[in-house]
Amino acid sequence: MMKYLNKILIVAMFLFTLTACSTQESEPIQSQANQPQQSLPTVDRAGNPVEIPKDAQRVISFAPSITQVIDEIGLRDKLVAVDSQSPNYVKGVDELPQFDMMTPDLEALAALEPDIMFVSGMSSAKGDNPFQQLIDMDVCVVTIPSSTSIEGVKEDNQFIADSLGQHEKGIQINKDMQERMDAIAAIGSTIEEQKTVMFEIAALPTIYSFGQETFLHEMIELIGAKNVFEDQAGWISVNEEAAIAANPDIILTSVNYIEDSVGEILAREGWENMKAIQNQEVYYIDNGKSSLSNHHIVEALEEMAKKVYPEEYAELK
Amino acid sequence: MKKQKVKIWITVLLCMTVLIVATGLGSVSIETSNILGIFAHKLLGIDLPNNLSSNIVSIFWTIRLPRTIAAFLVGSALAVTGTVMQSVLRNPLASSYTLGVSSGASLGVALMVIFGMTIPFLGRFSLPMVGFVFGLGTVLLAISMAMQLDKSLENQTIILIGMVLSLFVSSLLTILIVLSKEHMEQIIFWQMGSFSAIKWSHVFVLLSIIFPGILFLMYFTQELDIMTFGEEQAISVGIDMRRMKIVLISASALLTGTAVAFVGIIGFIDLIAPHVVRKIYGASHRIVVPMSALFGGAFMTIADLVSRTIISPSELPIGAVTTLIGAPFFAYVYFNRRSVTKKNA
Repeated sequence: MMKYLNKILIVAMFLFTLTACSTQESEPIQSQANQPQQSLPTVDRAGNPVEIPKDAQRVISFAPSITQVIDEIGLRDKLVAVDSQSPNYVKGVDELPQFDMMTPDLEALAALEPDIMFVSGMSSAKGDNPFQQLIDMDVCVVTIPSSTSIEGVKEDNQFIADSLGQHEKGIQINKDMQERMDAIAAIGSTIEEQKTVMFEIAALPTIYSFGQETFLHEMIELIGAKNVFEDQAGWISVNEEAAIAANPDIILTSVNYIEDSVGEILAREGWENMKAIQNQEVYYIDNGKSSLSNHHIVEALEEMAKKVYPEEYAELK
Repeated sequence: MKKQKVKIWITVLLCMTVLIVATGLGSVSIETSNILGIFAHKLLGIDLPNNLSSNIVSIFWTIRLPRTIAAFLVGSALAVTGTVMQSVLRNPLASSYTLGVSSGASLGVALMVIFGMTIPFLGRFSLPMVGFVFGLGTVLLAISMAMQLDKSLENQTIILIGMVLSLFVSSLLTILIVLSKEHMEQIIFWQMGSFSAIKWSHVFVLLSIIFPGILFLMYFTQELDIMTFGEEQAISVGIDMRRMKIVLISASALLTGTAVAFVGIIGFIDLIAPHVVRKIYGASHRIVVPMSALFGGAFMTIADLVSRTIISPSELPIGAVTTLIGAPFFAYVYFNRRSVTKKNA
């Protein structure tokens, strides 16, 4: 018995030092904590057990946010297929076979003989796993649901890097991201007179915004501002009366499905007496950077900081 | 007859109460004295109360009031056309939607959104205008096809052609959406239906079509009474069934088309209002048509009130609310009356 205890202790100590090392840069992935070495994760981000093959050569990405990370760690050449949205965000993948995220052609996917396939929660929105058939055919399907927090986004980055045997690259991506966030937070935390912000992700007649438990909410707080819907949680459809009553100092919009979403907000009937409209403080924030959950959100964060507090963040590169 | 009068007065009073309550409540609470102050200011030019913020005035006058009135008008239009269509086609499930108003309008809107067109001089009325033209066009196409196939315009022919055409148009819409994914959001939002973003300019257009439209349909209540007895009876008293059907269906499509064009597709009211109103007031169209207007209007106003206040500052889709409140209410009225009739018999 003692023997075992000793062994367990040694392993535990080893694990602890390992975790301690990596926490300097980023959060460790839970699944990794079970493994003494930089081995592959055994549980995906949705909590399903997975057997990730070593040195995967044929990779499929089924979400633009994932494709961007794969591109960033320098493994774009290993992609054999992507979802139809990815080419809008990553250069050099438009020649690859493209699949519809919601209605994937499983036969064609299987025929590509992927070693690993990354999917987002989007595809399984209908309930059961739409890729079960592929899993049954021993394709390694790894689910990465869209994260709702910045911490989760970082864990996703690291997980993708780890799955492709590029642990260091993951650490590097997160380190860069953290440094840029820290630069913002250093200024943001000193701002005393916080401006109030309303961030629209869909426009009238169905305005959508968000409360807590979203990385965009965390981002508003990081730049030193206040989300007018901070008492809400998750994505919310906003009643027009409530939007006017909230009377934010600044309105941000990431709507890109209508032309000139800023102009549309400025011209809204009944909104003309709001502070943001009277001061013409309505700005567009890049849709891709603010909606895809990966390290690029830091670019949206910088954009937001400069739009909301142009003077305070004037020095920021 | 006296009892009937009492019922009508109660309905009118209820409608007025619903309208007052609906304008008084919202995600922002506004005191009654301030509401009266805003009315006095807007209608009589009296100065606003000093402490009243201009945003509150906007919320009440520019957002809430036109929205509530629009909900009432649209509810009236949908209920009345539902009644008329059910009587004309002698089918308890018929409505203008069956003949393709909604799918036609959706296709028109989708085309506009995808190709990013706006009609000169119409500006933001472009989308409703095209929705309206396509909605009405689909119904007229259905009727003209039915006429080609069946000179006497049998009800079954109209319904069948209407449904086939409606499904065909829907499939075109699905293909369009699949081919142009980046516009999917906007089209689906439009289809979900909403009274959000309705302003006075919309209300005036709605009013100028829906009010005369309902009056026009009320002109034919006697014909509607006879038509419900069957085509033979109607023909025997000298009604030109074919002409009558074309006139009434087109007028109904015009009203529904206008409603759908501005607020998207809101179902259920067109289906249940006629049944509920007939259960309460009997079968005479002279009463059923105007009462449908009042009942539908009040019902839609309540549904909109619930949709914009129950999870404030968020909003629920109006289509979900109409069904959520409507289905149990319908079941109650239907089965309650049924048991009463059984007892009497």
